[in-house]
Amino acid sequence: MTWFVARKLVGMVLTMLVTSFLVFASLYVAPGDPLDFLLQGRSPTPEMVAAVSEQYGLDDPFLVQYWHWLVGVLHLDFGRSLQFREDVAHLIGARVPTTLGLILMSGTMICVFGLAVGIAGALTAGRVYDRALLVLSTVLAAIPSFVAAIILISVFSVRLGWFPTSGAGEGLADRIYHLFLPAVALSLTFIALVSRVTRSSMLDELRREHVEVALSRGMTTRSVIRRHVLRNALGPILTITGLLVAGLLVASAVVETAFSLNGMGSLLVQSVDKQDFAIVQAIVLLVVFAFVIVNTVVDIAYPFIDPRVTAGPGAR
Amino acid sequence: MSVHLTRRRFGATCAVLTTALLLVACSGTAKSDPDGDPGGDSGAAYQISATTPEPTGDIDAFTWSLYAEPLSLAYPYAFDYPPNTVLSNVCESLLRWNADLSISPGLASAVDNPDPRTWVYTIRDGVTFHSGGTLTADDVVASLNLHLDPQVGSYWASVYRNVKSIEKTGDMEVTVHLTKPDSMFNQYMAVSPGTIESAAFLEQAGADYGNPSTGVDCTGPFEFDSWTSGQSITLKKYDDYWDADLAAKAGEVTFVFQSDPNTRVNAWQDGEVDGGWFVPSNAYERLSTSGPGSLYYGLNTTVVSQIVANTDGPLGDPDVRKALLMATDRAGIVKAGEAGVAEISNSLVSKSTWGGLSADEVEDIYAELPTYDYDVDKAKQLAADAGVDGQQIVIATSPISVAADVIAQATAQAGRDIGLDVTIKTVSPDQYTALFSSPAARKGIDMFMTAWYTSLADPMEMYGVLQTGQFSNYGSWSDPDFDAQTDQAIADPIGEPARTTAMANAQAIAAEQLPWLPLYAPPTTLWLGDRITGVAPSIYYMYYPWAATIGAKG
Repeated sequence: MTWFVARKLVGMVLTMLVTSFLVFASLYVAPGDPLDFLLQGRSPTPEMVAAVSEQYGLDDPFLVQYWHWLVGVLHLDFGRSLQFREDVAHLIGARVPTTLGLILMSGTMICVFGLAVGIAGALTAGRVYDRALLVLSTVLAAIPSFVAAIILISVFSVRLGWFPTSGAGEGLADRIYHLFLPAVALSLTFIALVSRVTRSSMLDELRREHVEVALSRGMTTRSVIRRHVLRNALGPILTITGLLVAGLLVASAVVETAFSLNGMGSLLVQSVDKQDFAIVQAIVLLVVFAFVIVNTVVDIAYPFIDPRVTAGPGAR
Repeated sequence: MSVHLTRRRFGATCAVLTTALLLVACSGTAKSDPDGDPGGDSGAAYQISATTPEPTGDIDAFTWSLYAEPLSLAYPYAFDYPPNTVLSNVCESLLRWNADLSISPGLASAVDNPDPRTWVYTIRDGVTFHSGGTLTADDVVASLNLHLDPQVGSYWASVYRNVKSIEKTGDMEVTVHLTKPDSMFNQYMAVSPGTIESAAFLEQAGADYGNPSTGVDCTGPFEFDSWTSGQSITLKKYDDYWDADLAAKAGEVTFVFQSDPNTRVNAWQDGEVDGGWFVPSNAYERLSTSGPGSLYYGLNTTVVSQIVANTDGPLGDPDVRKALLMATDRAGIVKAGEAGVAEISNSLVSKSTWGGLSADEVEDIYAELPTYDYDVDKAKQLAADAGVDGQQIVIATSPISVAADVIAQATAQAGRDIGLDVTIKTVSPDQYTALFSSPAARKGIDMFMTAWYTSLADPMEMYGVLQTGQFSNYGSWSDPDFDAQTDQAIADPIGEPARTTAMANAQAIAAEQLPWLPLYAPPTTLWLGDRITGVAPSIYYMYYPWAATIGAKG
């Protein structure tokens, strides 16, 4: 187990290092010059150009710039945002609660509704109810989150007035209230996805011999489904859920904008466009970190769900 | 010599996929109107208001929407709508820019101009900073000198290009020496370049000055309270404000950042947000008919135009530019892009920019300008005579507003009508912003749209930009006669009849030569929900403490 965790950690650090280098390199070669942004092109004098370039180390060679950044990160200094002239940690710190809240809420919705719909579909396979769910999930999967956001706002906020149209709220209850519609907009596609995986994975298990044997031995359908079908079907479901975390982070940028939420996704998009390298790096690292952590948790949870898979050398 | 001027690209910061797709989906092209009534009548009627009803009393707090988060509240970087809209209520300048765009004393109680190269400012007594200190000449010297510090990289540095020194000449007196007469300098002291901050706070904040965690410490009717990155900025009333007439009627103002135009409109209609500048044109009808609240149109200095960015291509020929403008259905653009709420303009500055002149005098100046009425046949002939025969041009656009798309389509249509081979290049809003600052970004682009406003009621703020070699003279257009007229207008003192004549001459040359193609002049737009009132619908909100006059609606 120690070996397993150590390996995961080394893998994570290497992934983060490679990612940060790739992101740095791609922003470096992208067209445009951060100086244009910093001076806003307002006929700057040569002295201004020189002074500002020096402040932000823009004249240093590529590798030197990267090295400076890396050394800073090792000292927990994530650098300074070009656009806000502010420490990156402060800017991101202000946005973590919103993004975290949004992801947690939609993650919960996805797991609960995705599983419920998928199980219901598998148990009624082939019948009208199942077909209706299939059609519905196909439609939901096809609705991009920004369209969902617009529809939800116009119906539930503007027409019915049940939810606020924008903002992240203050305090726990208010935050949940504010983030409810955004979380729904973000989850719909993923709910459809998870329910489909759940349904097909359950169906596979239902057809297996051990299920038939259990049923023929007189065990209740309820307990067979819970102990033999669902438990065995959880493997692929868990895997896809782990992968969804990354998808959620990416899709949240769009939802955040539609609902005017101060999340990390919208900050990332804005920073990429402005070549605000320090912010892009910090967010990308956070996302990679979250992704690796979630998938490690999934890997660790696997043996408990399915004892056939044991953690350790040679395991997943 | 370099004159630097305010340029603006509206909404450039709202980089939103949502918006982009919606806008493309909702906006027709200007060509959808087959009759295309010739220039002059822009379609639907709209009413310009000078004020809104007086408030009946004070109000605890109100919220206001901004289309983008300010990147900084530091006044050297306050050169765009979002920061200026907030900062105008917190920080004040030596002079004040009023609702009618006139200039009056501000933190300087008196201004003296003993000779054309010297400006002496008498600092007002009894003004205090939000943190408690008293305003003195030292604060003024430190604040103005910040623009000269290359480390700071002030966006307004060019205003100070003719400044030799800024000195304290008494406890409450500051003298600015210029290297040559500059009629613009003192006017600029009414807007952002004349902002005064506490010297002690500047020193203490250093590089963090004006950022979300540090804020500012000025003298205005509101003080900086908090800034939640990505979400909102809150100001609270400053009780010891020096000007009793402008004491804030609201205890607190919260600015929320809403980059998506639909989010903004929804929040207004829902009453979650009380008001905002910059009403999206596709919501004019919805807001004016269904409330709850009022939509106002008011004084503006903005003219929307197409910048000719490349005079080496086919657009280098003035006749081709004329033909292109003549073939552009400007009435159709106003109808489709601005819901009919704008006036077709034959000049690059709006009529309200001519401060100090009567309406009749301004009309006389404008009557001299060529009108370029919509006439495709005449345009075709003119272009054919100029040798247009399938040459390529590229028009850059970005999903920044309904109008941007309409303008690009209409101009492309006009180009094709006169025989050019037109390509539209769509870029992201931030890349679009880069067109205004980076020659590299403009490579291969022949034309792009701008909504250019002036920060002063002075046409020279626009025409100075078009002098030979100016940074924002994007197409490197050059006309010796124009340069001579504008040089004179910069040297002549304000109010001198010769200066007005020189500016009118410069305007006539620009309208004849069309370095940029003027399209239309939109009004300032203002939404007030049903809880608040008391602000003038005017572009003055960029530099005047407009939020202070907002109170409860009876």
